[in-house]
Amino acid sequence: MSAVPGSHEPFDELAVGWALHALEPEDEAVFGAHLPQCPRCAHTVAETSEVMSALASDLPPAEPSPDLRDRLRAAVERTEQLPPPAGAGPQDPAAVPADVPAPGGPAAPAPTGPSGGRRRTDRPAAPGVPVHRPPAEEAERSAWRRVLPNALVAAAVAAILALGSWSVVLGSARDEAQSVAAEQAEVVDALLQPGRVTITPVSATDGRSVATVVARGSQVQVVTHGLQVNDSSDSTYVVWGVQASDPVALGTFDVVSTRTDLRTVGSASTGLDDYEGYAISIEPGRQAPSEPTDVVANGQVTS
Amino acid sequence: MGAVTRPARRPEGDPGDADLVARVRAGDRGAVDDLYDRFRRPAFALARRVLADDTLAEDVVQDVFLSVWRDPHAYDRSRGSFSSWLMAMVHHKAVDAVRREESHRRRRARAEDDLALTAPTRAQDVEDEAWTRAVSERVRTALGTLPDAQREALTLAYYGGYTQREVAALTRAPLGTVKTRMLAGMRRLKEELGTVAGGTSGGALSGPAAVDGGAR
Repeated sequence: MSAVPGSHEPFDELAVGWALHALEPEDEAVFGAHLPQCPRCAHTVAETSEVMSALASDLPPAEPSPDLRDRLRAAVERTEQLPPPAGAGPQDPAAVPADVPAPGGPAAPAPTGPSGGRRRTDRPAAPGVPVHRPPAEEAERSAWRRVLPNALVAAAVAAILALGSWSVVLGSARDEAQSVAAEQAEVVDALLQPGRVTITPVSATDGRSVATVVARGSQVQVVTHGLQVNDSSDSTYVVWGVQASDPVALGTFDVVSTRTDLRTVGSASTGLDDYEGYAISIEPGRQAPSEPTDVVANGQVTS
Repeated sequence: MGAVTRPARRPEGDPGDADLVARVRAGDRGAVDDLYDRFRRPAFALARRVLADDTLAEDVVQDVFLSVWRDPHAYDRSRGSFSSWLMAMVHHKAVDAVRREESHRRRRARAEDDLALTAPTRAQDVEDEAWTRAVSERVRTALGTLPDAQREALTLAYYGGYTQREVAALTRAPLGTVKTRMLAGMRRLKEELGTVAGGTSGGALSGPAAVDGGAR
């Protein structure tokens, strides 16, 4: 045991969620860092996996189509094996020390994709489903903005969770609970699209963080979490890219809910690397003016 | 802990599994065929339950067996039985696929079904293996002993592929409560299932420290 039971309870909970593949990204990051050092949690993950496996035995029996065997054979035929990890004899699994995780992975029993990655940002390559590959030109951009998927998850989630908006007050109707869950899932899904992004929290003049600008190569998204709902008949919010000289209007959006919400701002030129910061203004009319009228929030890109 | 007499067929840590894994590690492609024979049905049944789509489920099953072939060292037997590891990978990939493929509209509609399914699935057909039948019966009984909230949380996560936050929203419970329920429910299941749920111990699900928290 690595800790007294009481204080370890939160990790016990995370271990079960990890095995169930049900953790939120921020919890997954925490537990992924904890697991390699914790024999107790490694056992908990294994125990949970065994219970899950037993649960599966109560499913209606099902037989895959006969073709699948042939497809698998063909795939195996054209697939080379990875070399065994250093230190583990290929024929001797017992050579792996009992409580030391295999190198290169958080823990052996935690099922991972071929690359060892987890979650939406690193999906296993199911047949017919292309794995996202950033275009080559993007890979040549400046290093500090090359946000890795895991960092993206952490940053995006931290940006949102810091605001506490996720503890949404749920109404009594189940419909509402479900739609809240779906909305949250949509926001997270949209944020966790693979690729490089720049995440910039923007604050109101009183210092209150009211939105997060998520800029990608092809679009700008704004997670709103405190901007006032605007009258979409005669006003609009505008996102501005701020450079040394003049701000550049990147696109318009409306705030339709006081809840955490994700607005995608149509824009072809997001200038991922061009701006030192982002600003949001509220404008009369429905068009972005040439320069902002009333800036309600801004923030600096941090490197 | 239950004192289940372990039938001869398909015990946890089946030495046959270890042999097959060793053959895969040695580069024997035919061993993948044998693994497939052994596990294709439970693997497919689970993927199909999560995905509700036979084609996607088959893709997941193929991906799982191909992964075993590609990197047979990913399995470490000190961490539990090969079968539970394999089934965990099936679950993981199926959940990834359901999150990737399924429209939120469909998921929302299906959530009702998953919630309704607080009672375990009833096998429609009697498997010819006494072991399977015994385990199935045992599982059903064990799930039946769980408090509704714990069963609901585990069912949504395991069969539905929902994250803890989604489960929280669906069941109108705080996230922390959902986490506690999942741990408590797993402890209870482990206790009820005994050796049916494998021989691994030393974790949070076993031992005298297990507390039945979060039951309501």
